[in-house]
Amino acid sequence: MLKTLVRPLLWTTLCCIVTTIAAGFLLKIFDLSNVVMLFLINVVFISLTFGRTAGIWACILGVGCFDFFFVPPQFFFAVSDVQYIFTFLLMVIVALVTSELAVKLRREVRFAKASADRATALARVASDLSGAVTIDQIEAVCRETLAPLFTATAVLLTPDRSDQLGGAGDTAGLDLSAAQRAYDRPPRSGGLLTPDAASGVLYLPLAGPMATRGVLALRLQPPQTAIDRDDRVLLDACCASIALALERIHFADVAQETQIRVEGERLRNALLAAVSHDLRTPLTAIRGLADTLANPGGLSADEQMLMAGSIRSQSEELQRLIGNLLDAARLQGDGVFLRREWHALGEIVGIALERSRPAIGPREVRIDLSDDVPLIEIDSVLFDRVLENILNNAAKYTEPTATIFIRSVVADGDIEIRIEDNGTRFPLTETDVLFEPFTRGPHESTIHGVGLGLFLCRRIVEAHGGVLRAFPRRPNGACFEIRLPRGEPPQIEREGETAA
Amino acid sequence: MTRPRILIVEDEADIRRFVRLALEREEMTVFEASTAAQARIDAGTRRPDLLIVDLGLPDYDGKTLIREVRTWSAAPTLVLSARDHEEEKVSALDAGADDYLVKPFGVPELLARVRAQLRRSSLLSAAGQASSTVRFGKVEVNLATHETWRDSEPVHLTPIEFRLLSALIRGRGKVLTHKQLLNEVWGSGYADRPHYLRIYMSHLRQKLEDDPIQPKHLMTELQVGYRIAGI
Repeated sequence: MLKTLVRPLLWTTLCCIVTTIAAGFLLKIFDLSNVVMLFLINVVFISLTFGRTAGIWACILGVGCFDFFFVPPQFFFAVSDVQYIFTFLLMVIVALVTSELAVKLRREVRFAKASADRATALARVASDLSGAVTIDQIEAVCRETLAPLFTATAVLLTPDRSDQLGGAGDTAGLDLSAAQRAYDRPPRSGGLLTPDAASGVLYLPLAGPMATRGVLALRLQPPQTAIDRDDRVLLDACCASIALALERIHFADVAQETQIRVEGERLRNALLAAVSHDLRTPLTAIRGLADTLANPGGLSADEQMLMAGSIRSQSEELQRLIGNLLDAARLQGDGVFLRREWHALGEIVGIALERSRPAIGPREVRIDLSDDVPLIEIDSVLFDRVLENILNNAAKYTEPTATIFIRSVVADGDIEIRIEDNGTRFPLTETDVLFEPFTRGPHESTIHGVGLGLFLCRRIVEAHGGVLRAFPRRPNGACFEIRLPRGEPPQIEREGETAA
Repeated sequence: MTRPRILIVEDEADIRRFVRLALEREEMTVFEASTAAQARIDAGTRRPDLLIVDLGLPDYDGKTLIREVRTWSAAPTLVLSARDHEEEKVSALDAGADDYLVKPFGVPELLARVRAQLRRSSLLSAAGQASSTVRFGKVEVNLATHETWRDSEPVHLTPIEFRLLSALIRGRGKVLTHKQLLNEVWGSGYADRPHYLRIYMSHLRQKLEDDPIQPKHLMTELQVGYRIAGI
């Protein structure tokens, strides 16, 4: 405070000394009444630059110097001529008016600059918020862009499903019940803005157009009792922007949930339709065959054996369908839970081959697994289903003379497993459609089974972070390619190769 | 030879019926129990040679029953389980069951498993101690001298490989869970490292099987463990 007063006064004194010396020289050329103008300019200049106090000091010094050095009798403060009294008076008035004007001007400049700063700050907050698509990003904007504007720390508190506020950031030291009060009963806007008495934190409700979307907790540093009017306007504008961003995210989530629900509904309907057809077929056969066997008059022993065999194979088909349905239901539920362990690929391929052996029948199977793939991290039960489904599919859509190839290689850090066949009955076009639930190839009438299998395979492979693709093989046949990230296989302690 | 005595513990009457019919046709004496409580009494009074236990019993857990019976009887136990009870199955095996069948199962499968278990228990009780040389397929193993031959050619096995092979042979006819094998071969500290088992099993298959991908003897039980077949 003292410094801000002393420095202008020192400058003023210096200016007066310079003016006096200059006037001393000018007096040799000009008249005294003209030289006094130099002192007047000095006063105007000082007033403009350093304000009123300095202006008056310049005035007093100027008049003093003028009187002492130039007005006769020289080197005395006595004034003989009355007209110089008028000159002093004039100088004092000019000093006062000028300094008043200067002060006013400076205040306006400062005000305009502050407004511009606030507008820029608001624009920055708004543009940062417009890019935010998650609540965490909004929280980051509050913390990194908004809080520094008010030299404060900010925590965004958003409600959970039961309308209880919780913070994504550090909520230590916050009075959550005060925040909850502000959220439940937002004070009327324009009301007095005072920090919470106990914690010194401002709880600002974020009122969007539709509802209150949360509370911004602002801890001012250093602690202040209130916030000034201009900052208040900026703060309100920022809060409105945050509320809008929160509301936007809220409705985006709602829209996405709705879409998922609609998609789920569509799937469920398709599933019901498929189930009613594909499950009823074997059930009807089983029931009819059992009824016939219950009254076997006129049937030969061979015929009875055949019927029992049919019941068996129909129930096996049912079992396979139910297995696929159960897995599909498990994968459709919230969050696929994988039991991933490090497995030997050869072992899993072996199991899948053994299980699909009845379907594969006389078809030749050639296996060529790369030695570079010792272990892969998979849920073995689900992954076995993928291989089984693809192998069953390969068997279903090929002639009994066809060959099935199973190959694995390491490519670009991924593990690639290819199951190929050289059959001619596989639908070659629209291979992506194959993976839609309940799609079947063109042989729908003769080959049955819910088209759930391949859809399920894709879901399982994707849940493992991989990709499943199907494409036609040249010159004929189909190729299914599973790509899995290789991951970091665990280290195995080597044992010394000593003889047992 | 006396007729083997089998106790079926299963709450579904239709399943009990067809299992009973199938076993009686094989000259076995069958007793039925529909609850675990009844099974506990029957196991004591009927002295069965083999138990077939469903894991989903109405009164209490099949596992608990198995553990109880195991404290005083060495009779082999075959577990019946549904597909979505994988962990149950493993813990039943750990509790002392010898083998399992997944529902739905066929009669030939059931008979094969029952016969295998009966053969194993009669072998164990008759011989007291199995002979030190074991053959399966083209492979011959001498458990006493730690020597292994395939097609009469000596095969070099590392100490761990041999320990694993002999653990499987000792548990022949049984499904050995990952936990049991890891414990036996590597020690208790390795219980959470089934990948060791998988690596060493693949080594053993490379050395002993004709087609390591489609093994005939060193069989995988997915998510459960391993068994040795064809001894």
